[in-house]
Amino acid sequence: MTKLQRQRLHVALSVVVTLIVAFFALLPLYWILLTSFKAPGTEFRLPIRYWPAEISLEPYRTILGPDFQVQRAIRNSLVVSTVTTIGALLVASLAAYAIARLRFHYKWSSLLFVQVASMLPPIIVIAPTFLIIRGMGLLGGLPGLIIPNIVYSIPLSTWLIASYFAGLPFELEDAAKVDGSPPLRIYWQIMLPLAAPGLFAAGVIAFLGSWGEFMLAFTISMGLPEAQTIPVAVQGYTMAMQRQWTWVSAAIVLSLAPVILLVMFFQKRVVQGLTLGSAKY
Amino acid sequence: MRKLELPERTIAILFLVPAIVGLLVFYYYPIAHTLVLSMFDLDHTTDLTAERFVGLANYVQVFQSKQFWGSIGFTLFFTVVTVGLELVVGMMLALSTYWVWHRLTGVLRAIIIIPWAIPGIIQASIWRWMFNTDVGIIGDLFVRLGLTEQPPLFLADPNLAKWSVIVAYLWKGASVSAIFLMGGLALVPRDLTDAAKVDGARGWRRFWTITVPMITPTILVTLLFRTMASLQVFDVIYGLTNGGPGTTTETLSSFSYKYYFKFVQYGRGSAYAVVTFLLVLIASIVYIRRVQPHFRFKGLGSE
Repeated sequence: MTKLQRQRLHVALSVVVTLIVAFFALLPLYWILLTSFKAPGTEFRLPIRYWPAEISLEPYRTILGPDFQVQRAIRNSLVVSTVTTIGALLVASLAAYAIARLRFHYKWSSLLFVQVASMLPPIIVIAPTFLIIRGMGLLGGLPGLIIPNIVYSIPLSTWLIASYFAGLPFELEDAAKVDGSPPLRIYWQIMLPLAAPGLFAAGVIAFLGSWGEFMLAFTISMGLPEAQTIPVAVQGYTMAMQRQWTWVSAAIVLSLAPVILLVMFFQKRVVQGLTLGSAKY
Repeated sequence: MRKLELPERTIAILFLVPAIVGLLVFYYYPIAHTLVLSMFDLDHTTDLTAERFVGLANYVQVFQSKQFWGSIGFTLFFTVVTVGLELVVGMMLALSTYWVWHRLTGVLRAIIIIPWAIPGIIQASIWRWMFNTDVGIIGDLFVRLGLTEQPPLFLADPNLAKWSVIVAYLWKGASVSAIFLMGGLALVPRDLTDAAKVDGARGWRRFWTITVPMITPTILVTLLFRTMASLQVFDVIYGLTNGGPGTTTETLSSFSYKYYFKFVQYGRGSAYAVVTFLLVLIASIVYIRRVQPHFRFKGLGSE
Protein backbone atom coordinates (compact mmCIF):
# COMPACT_ATOMS: atom_id res chain seq x y z
CA MET A 1 0.00 0.00 0.00
CA THR A 2 1.28 3.44 -0.83
CA LYS A 3 1.18 6.22 1.70
CA LEU A 4 -1.71 7.87 -0.10
CA GLN A 5 -3.71 4.66 -0.12
CA ARG A 6 -3.05 4.19 3.57
CA GLN A 7 -4.26 7.71 4.26
CA ARG A 8 -7.43 7.16 2.24
CA LEU A 9 -8.08 3.92 4.08
CA HIS A 10 -7.64 5.72 7.39
CA VAL A 11 -10.12 8.42 6.40
CA ALA A 12 -12.62 5.82 5.21
CA LEU A 13 -12.30 3.76 8.38
CA SER A 14 -12.59 6.93 10.47
CA VAL A 15 -15.89 7.74 8.82
CA VAL A 16 -17.11 4.20 9.50
CA VAL A 17 -16.09 4.38 13.18
CA THR A 18 -17.77 7.77 13.60
CA LEU A 19 -20.97 6.48 12.02
CA ILE A 20 -21.05 3.41 14.26
CA VAL A 21 -20.55 5.51 17.40
CA ALA A 22 -23.16 7.98 16.20
CA PHE A 23 -25.64 5.16 15.60
CA PHE A 24 -25.45 3.86 19.16
CA ALA A 25 -25.15 7.24 20.85
CA LEU A 26 -27.88 9.02 18.90
CA LEU A 27 -30.39 6.27 18.06
CA PRO A 28 -32.38 6.75 21.30
CA LEU A 29 -32.55 10.49 20.72
CA TYR A 30 -33.49 10.07 17.06
CA TRP A 31 -36.24 7.64 18.04
CA ILE A 32 -37.70 10.07 20.55
CA LEU A 33 -37.46 12.97 18.10
CA LEU A 34 -39.20 10.91 15.43
CA THR A 35 -41.96 9.84 17.82
CA SER A 36 -42.52 13.41 18.97
CA PHE A 37 -43.50 14.43 15.41
CA LYS A 38 -45.96 11.59 14.81
CA ALA A 39 -49.68 12.22 14.97
CA PRO A 40 -50.93 10.99 18.38
CA GLY A 41 -52.01 7.35 18.11
CA THR A 42 -49.93 6.57 15.04
CA GLU A 43 -46.89 5.71 17.15
CA PHE A 44 -48.46 2.30 17.79
CA ARG A 45 -48.94 1.46 14.12
CA LEU A 46 -47.13 -1.51 12.62
CA PRO A 47 -44.82 -1.89 10.83
CA ILE A 48 -42.65 0.62 12.62
CA ARG A 49 -41.67 3.63 10.52
CA TYR A 50 -38.02 4.59 10.78
CA TRP A 51 -38.36 7.77 8.77
CA PRO A 52 -40.79 10.64 9.16
CA ALA A 53 -43.70 10.24 6.74
CA GLU A 54 -45.75 13.24 7.76
CA ILE A 55 -44.87 15.74 10.43
CA SER A 56 -47.45 16.45 13.09
CA LEU A 57 -47.07 19.26 15.59
CA GLU A 58 -50.04 17.98 17.58
CA PRO A 59 -47.88 16.40 20.36
CA TYR A 60 -46.14 19.72 20.98
CA ARG A 61 -49.41 21.62 20.93
CA THR A 62 -50.86 19.23 23.50
CA ILE A 63 -47.89 19.16 25.84
CA LEU A 64 -47.55 22.96 25.76
CA GLY A 65 -51.31 23.39 26.07
CA PRO A 66 -53.37 24.11 29.20
CA ASP A 67 -53.62 20.44 30.26
CA PHE A 68 -49.91 19.81 30.71
CA GLN A 69 -48.04 23.12 30.50
CA VAL A 70 -44.63 21.53 30.20
CA GLN A 71 -43.24 25.04 29.88
CA ARG A 72 -43.98 25.58 33.57
CA ALA A 73 -41.72 22.66 34.52
CA ILE A 74 -39.02 23.95 32.18
CA ARG A 75 -39.29 27.40 33.72
CA ASN A 76 -39.04 25.86 37.20
CA SER A 77 -35.94 23.96 36.16
CA LEU A 78 -34.38 27.09 34.70
CA VAL A 79 -35.01 28.95 37.96
CA VAL A 80 -33.69 26.11 40.14
CA SER A 81 -30.59 25.53 38.03
CA THR A 82 -29.74 29.20 37.57
CA VAL A 83 -30.05 30.10 41.24
CA THR A 84 -28.25 26.90 42.24
CA THR A 85 -25.38 27.71 39.89
CA ILE A 86 -24.94 31.26 41.17
CA GLY A 87 -25.19 30.17 44.81
CA ALA A 88 -22.83 27.25 44.36
CA LEU A 89 -20.21 29.37 42.58
CA LEU A 90 -20.28 31.98 45.33
CA VAL A 91 -20.01 29.55 48.24
CA ALA A 92 -17.57 27.23 46.49
CA SER A 93 -15.23 29.96 45.23
CA LEU A 94 -14.93 31.44 48.73
CA ALA A 95 -14.07 28.02 50.15
CA ALA A 96 -11.74 27.27 47.24
CA TYR A 97 -9.92 30.56 47.71
CA ALA A 98 -9.31 29.78 51.37
CA ILE A 99 -8.18 26.24 50.64
CA ALA A 100 -5.92 27.04 47.71
CA ARG A 101 -4.50 30.45 48.59
CA LEU A 102 -4.63 31.25 52.30
CA ARG A 103 -2.34 29.98 55.02
CA PHE A 104 -4.08 28.34 57.98
CA HIS A 105 -4.11 25.12 59.94
CA TYR A 106 -6.72 22.51 59.08
CA LYS A 107 -6.26 23.21 55.38
CA TRP A 108 -6.05 19.51 54.61
CA SER A 109 -8.95 18.63 56.90
CA SER A 110 -11.14 21.31 55.30
CA LEU A 111 -10.45 19.88 51.88
CA LEU A 112 -11.24 16.41 53.14
CA PHE A 113 -14.42 17.64 54.84
CA VAL A 114 -15.63 19.14 51.56
CA GLN A 115 -14.59 16.25 49.32
CA VAL A 116 -15.85 13.36 51.46
CA ALA A 117 -19.35 14.78 51.07
CA SER A 118 -19.22 14.14 47.33
CA MET A 119 -18.85 10.44 47.99
CA LEU A 120 -22.04 10.09 50.00
CA PRO A 121 -24.92 8.37 48.18
CA PRO A 122 -28.05 10.54 47.94
CA ILE A 123 -30.17 7.80 49.47
CA ILE A 124 -28.44 8.13 52.85
CA VAL A 125 -29.37 11.81 53.15
CA ILE A 126 -32.76 11.89 51.44
CA ALA A 127 -35.07 11.11 54.36
CA PRO A 128 -33.55 13.54 56.89
CA THR A 129 -33.32 16.16 54.13
CA PHE A 130 -37.03 15.71 53.48
CA LEU A 131 -37.67 16.16 57.21
CA ILE A 132 -35.48 19.29 57.35
CA ILE A 133 -37.25 20.86 54.37
CA ARG A 134 -40.60 19.97 55.90
CA GLY A 135 -39.47 21.52 59.18
CA MET A 136 -38.56 24.71 57.32
CA GLY A 137 -42.02 24.71 55.72
CA LEU A 138 -40.50 24.59 52.26
CA LEU A 139 -42.12 21.43 50.89
CA GLY A 140 -43.83 21.83 47.53
CA GLY A 141 -41.81 24.88 46.47
CA LEU A 142 -38.64 25.75 44.62
CA PRO A 143 -36.59 27.23 47.51
CA GLY A 144 -36.72 23.87 49.28
CA LEU A 145 -35.07 22.40 46.23
CA ILE A 146 -32.55 25.15 45.55
CA ILE A 147 -30.88 25.20 48.97
CA PRO A 148 -29.92 21.49 49.06
CA ASN A 149 -28.94 21.62 45.38
CA ILE A 150 -26.46 24.40 46.12
CA VAL A 151 -24.92 22.22 48.81
CA TYR A 152 -24.82 19.19 46.48
CA SER A 153 -22.80 21.26 43.98
CA ILE A 154 -20.26 22.50 46.54
CA PRO A 155 -17.77 19.59 46.63
CA LEU A 156 -17.12 19.36 42.91
CA SER A 157 -17.27 23.14 42.31
CA THR A 158 -14.83 23.75 45.17
CA TRP A 159 -12.47 21.14 43.78
CA LEU A 160 -12.56 22.59 40.26
CA ILE A 161 -12.13 26.19 41.35
CA ALA A 162 -9.45 25.35 43.91
CA SER A 163 -7.44 23.49 41.26
CA TYR A 164 -7.68 26.58 39.16
CA PHE A 165 -6.70 28.98 41.95
CA ALA A 166 -3.78 26.74 42.87
CA GLY A 167 -2.30 27.16 39.40
CA LEU A 168 -2.20 30.98 39.51
CA PRO A 169 1.05 32.81 40.38
CA PHE A 170 1.29 34.16 43.93
CA GLU A 171 2.92 37.48 42.90
CA LEU A 172 -0.45 39.00 41.99
CA GLU A 173 -1.83 38.60 45.46
CA ASP A 174 1.39 39.61 47.14
CA ALA A 175 1.41 42.89 45.24
CA ALA A 176 -2.19 43.58 46.25
CA LYS A 177 -1.43 42.71 49.86
CA VAL A 178 1.46 45.17 49.90
CA ASP A 179 -1.00 47.78 48.62
CA GLY A 180 -3.10 46.98 51.66
CA SER A 181 -6.18 45.72 49.81
CA PRO A 182 -8.57 43.82 52.08
CA PRO A 183 -8.81 40.04 51.42
CA LEU A 184 -12.40 40.19 50.23
CA ARG A 185 -11.39 42.69 47.53
CA ILE A 186 -8.37 40.59 46.50
CA TYR A 187 -10.68 37.61 46.16
CA TRP A 188 -13.42 39.47 44.32
CA GLN A 189 -11.48 41.85 42.08
CA ILE A 190 -8.26 39.98 41.36
CA MET A 191 -8.61 36.26 41.90
CA LEU A 192 -12.17 35.60 40.70
CA PRO A 193 -11.68 37.16 37.24
CA LEU A 194 -8.45 35.20 36.82
CA ALA A 195 -10.21 31.97 37.68
CA ALA A 196 -13.03 32.64 35.19
CA PRO A 197 -12.41 29.48 33.12
CA GLY A 198 -12.53 27.32 36.26
CA LEU A 199 -15.67 29.08 37.46
CA PHE A 200 -17.22 28.60 34.07
CA ALA A 201 -16.60 24.86 33.96
CA ALA A 202 -17.85 24.50 37.53
CA GLY A 203 -20.91 26.57 36.66
CA VAL A 204 -21.90 24.51 33.64
CA ILE A 205 -21.50 21.29 35.62
CA ALA A 206 -23.50 22.63 38.57
CA PHE A 207 -26.22 23.76 36.16
CA LEU A 208 -26.45 20.37 34.47
CA GLY A 209 -26.28 18.53 37.79
CA SER A 210 -29.23 20.41 39.26
CA TRP A 211 -31.08 20.26 35.92
CA GLY A 212 -31.05 16.46 35.95
CA GLU A 213 -31.44 15.85 39.70
CA PHE A 214 -34.48 13.66 40.28
CA MET A 215 -34.67 11.99 43.68
CA LEU A 216 -34.82 15.14 45.78
CA ALA A 217 -36.87 17.13 43.25
CA PHE A 218 -39.44 14.33 43.12
CA THR A 219 -39.59 14.04 46.91
CA ILE A 220 -39.83 17.77 47.60
CA SER A 221 -42.38 18.49 44.84
CA MET A 222 -45.09 16.50 46.67
CA GLY A 223 -46.81 15.94 43.34
CA LEU A 224 -47.66 19.62 42.95
CA PRO A 225 -47.33 20.71 39.29
CA GLU A 226 -46.20 24.20 40.29
CA ALA A 227 -43.20 22.71 42.15
CA GLN A 228 -42.13 20.18 39.54
CA THR A 229 -38.86 20.43 37.68
CA ILE A 230 -38.62 18.98 34.20
CA PRO A 231 -37.26 15.53 35.16
CA VAL A 232 -40.12 15.12 37.64
CA ALA A 233 -42.69 16.25 35.08
CA VAL A 234 -41.38 13.93 32.37
CA GLN A 235 -41.33 11.01 34.80
CA GLY A 236 -44.92 11.87 35.73
CA TYR A 237 -46.05 11.91 32.09
CA THR A 238 -44.27 8.61 31.44
CA MET A 239 -46.12 6.95 34.29
CA ALA A 240 -49.49 8.50 33.57
CA MET A 241 -49.56 8.15 29.78
CA GLN A 242 -48.39 4.70 28.78
CA ARG A 243 -50.51 4.95 25.61
CA GLN A 244 -49.51 8.51 24.64
CA TRP A 245 -45.89 8.29 23.72
CA THR A 246 -46.00 11.14 21.20
CA TRP A 247 -46.85 13.53 24.04
CA VAL A 248 -44.19 12.10 26.32
CA SER A 249 -41.64 12.27 23.51
CA ALA A 250 -42.46 15.91 22.78
CA ALA A 251 -41.94 16.71 26.45
CA ILE A 252 -38.60 14.85 26.43
CA VAL A 253 -37.42 16.71 23.33
CA LEU A 254 -38.29 20.07 24.89
CA SER A 255 -36.56 19.09 28.13
CA LEU A 256 -33.37 18.00 26.38
CA ALA A 257 -33.00 20.86 23.91
CA PRO A 258 -31.52 23.33 26.44
CA VAL A 259 -28.97 20.91 27.91
CA ILE A 260 -27.83 19.53 24.59
CA LEU A 261 -27.34 23.05 23.24
CA LEU A 262 -25.43 24.00 26.38
CA VAL A 263 -23.14 20.98 26.13
CA MET A 264 -22.52 21.36 22.40
CA PHE A 265 -21.73 25.01 22.85
CA PHE A 266 -19.31 24.62 25.75
CA GLN A 267 -18.07 21.12 24.97
CA LYS A 268 -14.37 21.82 25.39
CA ARG A 269 -14.64 23.57 28.71
CA VAL A 270 -17.02 21.02 30.16
CA VAL A 271 -14.67 18.20 29.26
CA GLN A 272 -11.70 20.08 30.69
CA GLY A 273 -13.63 20.70 33.87
CA LEU A 274 -14.89 17.17 34.18
CA THR A 275 -11.53 15.56 33.63
CA LEU A 276 -9.85 18.01 35.96
CA GLY A 277 -12.23 17.01 38.71
CA SER A 278 -12.85 13.48 37.48
CA ALA A 279 -16.39 14.23 38.42
CA LYS A 280 -19.32 12.08 39.20
CA TYR A 281 -22.17 11.63 36.72
CA MET B 1 -8.97 55.61 58.10
CA ARG B 2 -7.61 52.63 59.97
CA LYS B 3 -8.18 49.32 58.32
CA LEU B 4 -9.47 46.35 60.21
CA GLU B 5 -6.62 43.85 60.08
CA LEU B 6 -7.62 40.22 60.47
CA PRO B 7 -5.10 37.41 60.62
CA GLU B 8 -5.07 35.25 57.51
CA ARG B 9 -6.34 32.17 59.32
CA THR B 10 -9.43 34.02 60.56
CA ILE B 11 -10.19 35.14 57.01
CA ALA B 12 -9.76 31.58 55.79
CA ILE B 13 -12.24 30.29 58.36
CA LEU B 14 -14.74 33.03 57.48
CA PHE B 15 -14.48 32.16 53.79
CA LEU B 16 -15.07 28.50 54.59
CA VAL B 17 -18.05 29.02 56.89
CA PRO B 18 -20.85 29.05 54.25
CA ALA B 19 -19.62 25.84 52.63
CA ILE B 20 -19.08 24.07 55.92
CA VAL B 21 -22.46 25.05 57.34
CA GLY B 22 -24.18 23.90 54.14
CA LEU B 23 -22.39 20.58 54.13
CA LEU B 24 -23.10 20.04 57.81
CA VAL B 25 -26.83 20.69 57.41
CA PHE B 26 -27.42 18.73 54.19
CA TYR B 27 -24.74 16.01 54.29
CA TYR B 28 -23.21 15.25 57.67
CA TYR B 29 -26.18 15.82 59.93
CA PRO B 30 -28.53 13.78 57.64
CA ILE B 31 -26.11 10.84 57.73
CA ALA B 32 -26.10 10.85 61.51
CA HIS B 33 -29.89 11.19 61.50
CA THR B 34 -30.25 8.24 59.12
CA LEU B 35 -28.04 6.13 61.38
CA VAL B 36 -30.27 7.00 64.31
CA LEU B 37 -33.49 6.36 62.37
CA SER B 38 -32.21 2.93 61.40
CA MET B 39 -32.29 1.92 65.06
CA PHE B 40 -35.94 2.76 65.60
CA ASP B 41 -39.15 0.97 64.70
CA LEU B 42 -40.93 3.68 62.75
CA ASP B 43 -44.23 2.87 61.10
CA HIS B 44 -45.77 6.01 59.57
CA THR B 45 -43.98 8.23 62.04
CA THR B 46 -40.62 9.86 62.59
CA ASP B 47 -41.03 10.49 66.33
CA LEU B 48 -38.07 8.98 68.09
CA THR B 49 -39.63 7.91 71.38
CA ALA B 50 -37.83 5.60 73.79
CA GLU B 51 -40.23 2.69 73.36
CA ARG B 52 -39.64 2.67 69.60
CA PHE B 53 -35.91 2.14 70.03
CA VAL B 54 -35.06 -1.33 68.76
CA GLY B 55 -31.27 -1.25 68.46
CA LEU B 56 -30.13 -3.39 65.57
CA ALA B 57 -33.45 -5.20 65.11
CA ASN B 58 -34.08 -3.47 61.75
CA TYR B 59 -30.78 -4.76 60.45
CA VAL B 60 -31.50 -8.27 61.74
CA GLN B 61 -34.87 -8.25 59.99
CA VAL B 62 -33.36 -6.86 56.83
CA PHE B 63 -30.57 -9.44 56.79
CA GLN B 64 -33.14 -12.20 57.27
CA SER B 65 -35.30 -11.10 54.35
CA LYS B 66 -34.98 -12.68 50.94
CA GLN B 67 -35.72 -9.30 49.35
CA PHE B 68 -32.58 -7.83 50.85
CA TRP B 69 -30.29 -10.55 49.53
CA GLY B 70 -31.99 -10.27 46.16
CA SER B 71 -31.45 -6.53 46.01
CA ILE B 72 -27.87 -6.59 47.28
CA GLY B 73 -27.14 -9.41 44.83
CA PHE B 74 -28.56 -7.43 41.93
CA THR B 75 -26.80 -4.26 43.05
CA LEU B 76 -23.42 -6.04 43.08
CA PHE B 77 -24.10 -7.86 39.81
CA PHE B 78 -25.18 -4.60 38.20
CA THR B 79 -22.07 -2.82 39.51
CA VAL B 80 -19.56 -5.43 38.34
CA VAL B 81 -21.11 -5.72 34.88
CA THR B 82 -21.65 -2.00 34.26
CA VAL B 83 -18.28 -0.85 35.60
CA GLY B 84 -16.43 -3.51 33.59
CA LEU B 85 -18.28 -2.83 30.35
CA GLU B 86 -18.11 0.92 30.84
CA LEU B 87 -14.34 0.78 31.15
CA VAL B 88 -13.93 -1.33 28.00
CA VAL B 89 -16.40 0.62 25.86
CA GLY B 90 -15.32 3.95 27.34
CA MET B 91 -11.68 3.20 26.58
CA MET B 92 -12.52 2.22 23.02
CA LEU B 93 -14.47 5.46 22.57
CA ALA B 94 -11.74 7.59 24.12
CA LEU B 95 -9.02 5.97 22.02
CA SER B 96 -11.11 6.33 18.87
CA THR B 97 -11.13 10.12 19.28
CA TYR B 98 -7.32 9.98 19.06
CA TRP B 99 -7.25 7.44 16.31
CA VAL B 100 -9.69 8.96 13.80
CA TRP B 101 -8.88 11.32 10.98
CA HIS B 102 -8.21 14.68 12.66
CA ARG B 103 -11.13 16.44 10.94
CA LEU B 104 -13.56 14.02 12.60
CA THR B 105 -12.13 14.33 16.12
CA GLY B 106 -14.39 17.22 17.12
CA VAL B 107 -17.54 15.63 15.73
CA LEU B 108 -16.80 12.29 17.36
CA ARG B 109 -16.08 13.90 20.70
CA ALA B 110 -19.34 15.87 20.57
CA ILE B 111 -21.30 12.69 19.78
CA ILE B 112 -19.67 10.84 22.67
CA ILE B 113 -20.50 13.59 25.15
CA ILE B 114 -24.21 13.91 24.36
CA PRO B 115 -25.49 10.92 26.41
CA TRP B 116 -23.64 12.28 29.47
CA ALA B 117 -25.84 15.39 29.43
CA ILE B 118 -29.14 13.47 29.50
CA PRO B 119 -30.70 13.35 33.00
CA GLY B 120 -30.92 9.78 34.35
CA ILE B 121 -34.68 9.72 34.77
CA ILE B 122 -35.22 10.99 31.21
CA GLN B 123 -32.75 8.41 29.96
CA ALA B 124 -35.03 5.85 31.66
CA SER B 125 -38.14 7.23 29.92
CA ILE B 126 -36.44 7.13 26.53
CA TRP B 127 -35.36 3.52 26.98
CA ARG B 128 -38.76 2.52 28.27
CA TRP B 129 -40.15 3.54 24.93
CA MET B 130 -37.29 1.86 23.05
CA PHE B 131 -37.96 -1.40 24.93
CA ASN B 132 -41.73 -1.28 24.31
CA THR B 133 -42.89 -4.80 23.51
CA ASP B 134 -45.32 -3.97 20.72
CA VAL B 135 -43.66 -1.12 18.85
CA GLY B 136 -40.26 -0.70 20.52
CA ILE B 137 -37.36 -0.08 18.19
CA ILE B 138 -35.06 -2.58 19.93
CA GLY B 139 -37.54 -5.44 19.65
CA ASP B 140 -38.16 -4.54 16.03
CA LEU B 141 -34.42 -4.59 15.30
CA PHE B 142 -34.14 -7.99 17.03
CA VAL B 143 -36.85 -9.40 14.77
CA ARG B 144 -35.44 -7.78 11.65
CA LEU B 145 -31.98 -9.14 12.36
CA GLY B 146 -33.52 -12.58 12.85
CA LEU B 147 -32.37 -12.86 16.46
CA THR B 148 -35.87 -13.68 17.71
CA GLU B 149 -39.19 -14.56 16.17
CA GLN B 150 -41.19 -12.17 18.33
CA PRO B 151 -40.00 -8.98 20.03
CA PRO B 152 -38.63 -10.10 23.43
CA LEU B 153 -40.32 -8.99 26.66
CA PHE B 154 -37.44 -6.72 27.61
CA LEU B 155 -38.93 -5.30 30.77
CA ALA B 156 -41.40 -8.03 31.75
CA ASP B 157 -39.11 -11.05 31.67
CA PRO B 158 -37.16 -11.22 34.97
CA ASN B 159 -33.83 -12.21 33.42
CA LEU B 160 -34.11 -9.96 30.42
CA ALA B 161 -35.16 -6.99 32.58
CA LYS B 162 -31.81 -7.13 34.40
CA TRP B 163 -29.93 -6.85 31.13
CA SER B 164 -32.27 -4.19 29.77
CA VAL B 165 -31.55 -2.01 32.79
CA ILE B 166 -27.83 -2.59 32.29
CA VAL B 167 -27.96 -1.68 28.58
CA ALA B 168 -29.95 1.49 29.24
CA TYR B 169 -27.53 2.48 32.00
CA LEU B 170 -24.47 1.72 29.86
CA TRP B 171 -25.64 4.06 27.13
CA LYS B 172 -24.86 6.99 29.40
CA GLY B 173 -22.24 5.31 31.59
CA ALA B 174 -19.92 4.54 28.68
CA SER B 175 -20.13 8.19 27.69
CA VAL B 176 -19.16 9.32 31.20
CA SER B 177 -16.26 6.87 31.41
CA ALA B 178 -15.07 7.94 27.95
CA ILE B 179 -15.01 11.59 29.07
CA PHE B 180 -12.83 10.73 32.09
CA LEU B 181 -10.49 8.62 29.99
CA MET B 182 -10.21 11.24 27.25
CA GLY B 183 -8.95 13.58 29.96
CA GLY B 184 -6.31 11.04 30.97
CA LEU B 185 -5.25 10.49 27.39
CA ALA B 186 -4.91 14.24 26.91
CA LEU B 187 -2.02 14.14 29.39
CA VAL B 188 -0.15 11.54 27.35
CA PRO B 189 2.39 13.24 25.03
CA ARG B 190 1.04 13.55 21.52
CA ASP B 191 3.71 11.46 19.79
CA LEU B 192 2.90 8.54 22.08
CA THR B 193 -0.82 8.65 21.30
CA ASP B 194 0.03 8.99 17.63
CA ALA B 195 1.77 5.68 18.05
CA ALA B 196 -1.72 4.25 18.50
CA LYS B 197 -2.11 4.88 14.80
CA VAL B 198 0.58 2.34 14.09
CA ASP B 199 -1.47 -0.58 12.93
CA GLY B 200 -1.54 -4.11 14.19
CA ALA B 201 0.45 -5.73 16.93
CA ARG B 202 2.90 -2.89 17.35
CA GLY B 203 0.20 -0.35 18.09
CA TRP B 204 -1.51 -2.75 20.47
CA ARG B 205 1.69 -3.47 22.36
CA ARG B 206 2.54 0.19 22.65
CA PHE B 207 -0.93 0.79 24.03
CA TRP B 208 -0.36 -1.78 26.79
CA THR B 209 3.25 -0.94 27.58
CA ILE B 210 3.19 2.86 27.24
CA THR B 211 -0.29 4.35 27.26
CA VAL B 212 -1.92 2.20 29.93
CA PRO B 213 0.81 2.72 32.58
CA MET B 214 0.69 6.47 31.91
CA ILE B 215 -3.05 6.73 32.42
CA THR B 216 -3.30 4.26 35.31
CA PRO B 217 -4.24 7.05 37.77
CA THR B 218 -7.09 8.14 35.45
CA ILE B 219 -8.26 4.57 35.05
CA LEU B 220 -8.34 4.09 38.82
CA VAL B 221 -10.22 7.35 39.40
CA THR B 222 -12.69 6.41 36.65
CA LEU B 223 -13.24 3.02 38.27
CA LEU B 224 -13.69 4.63 41.67
CA PHE B 225 -16.31 7.15 40.57
CA ARG B 226 -18.17 4.74 38.34
CA THR B 227 -18.24 2.00 40.98
CA MET B 228 -19.72 4.46 43.46
CA ALA B 229 -22.29 5.60 40.89
CA SER B 230 -23.34 2.04 40.08
CA LEU B 231 -23.61 0.97 43.72
CA GLN B 232 -26.05 3.79 44.42
CA VAL B 233 -27.99 3.58 41.12
CA PHE B 234 -31.54 4.86 41.47
CA ASP B 235 -32.91 6.99 38.61
CA VAL B 236 -32.62 4.45 35.80
CA ILE B 237 -34.10 1.68 37.93
CA TYR B 238 -36.94 3.82 39.20
CA GLY B 239 -37.88 5.09 35.77
CA LEU B 240 -37.36 1.95 33.72
CA THR B 241 -38.63 -0.98 35.79
CA ASN B 242 -39.35 0.49 39.23
CA GLY B 243 -37.65 -2.63 40.58
CA GLY B 244 -39.83 -5.02 38.62
CA PRO B 245 -40.90 -7.47 37.47
CA GLY B 246 -41.54 -8.45 41.06
CA THR B 247 -38.42 -7.31 42.84
CA THR B 248 -35.87 -8.67 40.36
CA THR B 249 -34.27 -5.35 39.43
CA GLU B 250 -34.64 -3.74 42.84
CA THR B 251 -31.37 -2.18 44.06
CA LEU B 252 -30.49 -1.14 47.61
CA SER B 253 -31.24 2.50 46.81
CA SER B 254 -34.56 1.82 45.10
CA PHE B 255 -35.69 -0.44 47.95
CA SER B 256 -34.67 2.12 50.51
CA TYR B 257 -36.64 4.80 48.70
CA LYS B 258 -39.72 2.55 48.63
CA TYR B 259 -39.50 1.90 52.35
CA TYR B 260 -39.21 5.61 53.03
CA PHE B 261 -41.82 7.14 50.81
CA LYS B 262 -44.15 4.33 49.76
CA PHE B 263 -44.41 2.17 52.89
CA VAL B 264 -43.43 5.11 55.16
CA GLN B 265 -41.17 2.89 57.25
CA TYR B 266 -38.23 5.14 58.02
CA GLY B 267 -36.44 2.62 60.22
CA ARG B 268 -36.33 -0.12 57.61
CA GLY B 269 -35.57 2.35 54.81
CA SER B 270 -32.67 3.77 56.79
CA ALA B 271 -31.22 0.30 57.35
CA TYR B 272 -31.17 -0.23 53.57
CA ALA B 273 -29.62 3.22 53.06
CA VAL B 274 -26.91 2.52 55.64
CA VAL B 275 -25.99 -0.73 53.88
CA THR B 276 -25.72 1.19 50.57
CA PHE B 277 -23.51 3.71 52.29
CA LEU B 278 -21.27 1.00 53.75
CA LEU B 279 -20.81 -0.61 50.33
CA VAL B 280 -19.85 2.75 48.80
CA LEU B 281 -17.51 3.39 51.73
CA ILE B 282 -15.76 0.03 51.37
CA ALA B 283 -15.39 0.50 47.61
CA SER B 284 -13.94 3.99 48.00
CA ILE B 285 -11.45 2.89 50.68
CA VAL B 286 -10.25 0.03 48.50
CA TYR B 287 -9.79 2.28 45.48
CA ILE B 288 -8.39 5.30 47.27
CA ARG B 289 -5.62 3.19 48.80
CA ARG B 290 -4.65 2.24 45.27
CA VAL B 291 -5.05 5.75 43.83
CA GLN B 292 -3.18 7.58 46.57
CA PRO B 293 0.38 6.87 45.45
CA HIS B 294 -0.45 8.41 42.05
CA PHE B 295 -2.24 11.35 43.51
CA ARG B 296 -1.01 14.87 44.04
CA PHE B 297 -2.84 18.15 44.29
CA LYS B 298 -0.49 20.94 43.38
CA GLY B 299 -0.33 23.97 45.60
CA LEU B 300 -1.85 22.30 48.61
CA GLY B 301 1.21 20.78 50.17
CA SER B 302 0.65 17.78 52.35
CA GLU B 303 -0.08 19.10 55.82
